[in-house]
Amino acid sequence: MINIFKMDFHRFKTNKMIYLLLLLFFAFQIFGIYMLKKYEEPGGNGGMLISTMNESQFIQVIMAQTPSWMLVYIAVFSVYFYMSEYSCGFYKNYIAMKNARMYSVLSKILITGLFTLCMFIVMFVADMIGRSLFFDHAALGDGGYLAKLLIGQFFLHWAFSIVILCISIISKSLIASIVVGFLLSLNVFGMVISAFESLVGQVNLSSFLLVNTIVSPRDFHHINDLMHIAGVAIVFLLLFSFIAVRYKIKEDLG
Amino acid sequence: MSEAIIEVSQLTKQFKSKIAVNKADFKIGKGEIFGLIGQNGAGKSTLLKMIAGLMYPTSGEIKLFNRTMKDSHPYFERIGILIENAGLFPHYNAYENLDLIAISYGLTNRKSHINKLLKLVGLDVSNKSKVKNYSMGMKQRLGIAAALIGSPDVLILDEPINGLDPQGISEIRRMILELNKAGMTIIISSHILEELSKIATQYAILHQGEVIEHHSREQLLLQCEDRIEIEVEKASWAVPILEQNLNINHYKVIGEHVVYIYDSHIETQHIIKSLVENGVMVHSITKHKQSLEQYFLARTGSGGGSHD
Repeated sequence: MINIFKMDFHRFKTNKMIYLLLLLFFAFQIFGIYMLKKYEEPGGNGGMLISTMNESQFIQVIMAQTPSWMLVYIAVFSVYFYMSEYSCGFYKNYIAMKNARMYSVLSKILITGLFTLCMFIVMFVADMIGRSLFFDHAALGDGGYLAKLLIGQFFLHWAFSIVILCISIISKSLIASIVVGFLLSLNVFGMVISAFESLVGQVNLSSFLLVNTIVSPRDFHHINDLMHIAGVAIVFLLLFSFIAVRYKIKEDLG
Repeated sequence: MSEAIIEVSQLTKQFKSKIAVNKADFKIGKGEIFGLIGQNGAGKSTLLKMIAGLMYPTSGEIKLFNRTMKDSHPYFERIGILIENAGLFPHYNAYENLDLIAISYGLTNRKSHINKLLKLVGLDVSNKSKVKNYSMGMKQRLGIAAALIGSPDVLILDEPINGLDPQGISEIRRMILELNKAGMTIIISSHILEELSKIATQYAILHQGEVIEHHSREQLLLQCEDRIEIEVEKASWAVPILEQNLNINHYKVIGEHVVYIYDSHIETQHIIKSLVENGVMVHSITKHKQSLEQYFLARTGSGGGSHD
């Protein structure tokens, strides 16, 4: 396991595409903050002005917007990292090793987690710089609250990357995986199911959907919200990891 | 045959309604070069992928090193593979590709091992070009180096000469013979029997998913050797006449009525004359000339050998 992870990590750190994605995300995050400043109006978060928000509130406002650009970047990376190896057949060089199929998926799950972590770091740094530059205000607010928010959102985003990885493994198609990733980032499925629920009434399963949970602002002081986030993240993380590993173990490789 | 290290019994692979490999049976001995010959779509790659652990058989059994294989068994890692195309990242150079594989194997002293392999396959160690800029021959050679990273006991090469120029084919052939000389068992598939005949020691002909023939090199060459086929009243009556009167020593009796004569100095009319004069009735006599390619085509129903 450790050797396959080392190999994937080596590929991760030597791949220019990853740095390009992070740089692009950083640039667009700064640009997004500039645009927020330019067209700032009350109402974003309970009528608060963005310039008065602390980092936790600011992150919740940004993440509530769809499409979630962070999810789009994570989807692109997850599909790219898996499909670039699959389509060139590189896996054939090591997949015959004992338990390599399982380890290969687990390693990619860890790598997508690493990329998600990098995205959060870039987002945080970009927020700090952008808010300092354009709002002259980069208050962090309650450190504990911010930490809970970042950890909760990190696990939700990581679970999302695993969902996309799983879709790539099963579909074996770069285009199909990217399209599904983009649709999920737009929360199309969440909106469709929410609309369907409002017609049926008395059902609220959509709030347990992963992307719905990501884009819905929560109170991280509230234990129910924390449990909700932790539950959704863990269920999606474990369920899709399990499906991806099982599929890979049973897959006939070409 | 030397000690069998790969044994395939009733191996079958079915994709929905299509049977790609049907009840394949054969053994491969240690140190052999096993040639798997078949037309495109005969099931060669599928069969090799099952032996390499990339695909799961629908039924049947594979024994590697006298152990029956189950899912993800460690014995699969003693097999190096180059199946269809070399699995290489196009935007990395040769060294970087091999280095990634070496990391996955947990090798220490990677640099010297990789440089040794690059030298073995005749690639320039200092070449920093990306693999996407490589010629087909260079990619195939790098693919062989990749297959050798884990120091396997068995090397599987699926159509390694496809798309190569004559010089490339000759280099691959030389490399295969060198590896075999060093004790490696090699399984090589091709649809070009003439090419396989230059290196393989055992042959299996695969047609529509079935192994229809399995020969040693000697048996195959004998099948394709120029010969005169005679059908007589009784072969046992004809043989002493052929030996004593015509001085024929190189022959083979096939059943009760047929004799194959491999001595090339004899004319057919002399054979007929001698047999008839000694009271042996000759039903037919044919000169049989067949290249390896014709032999293969005749077996796979795509053509036939020439008789004149």
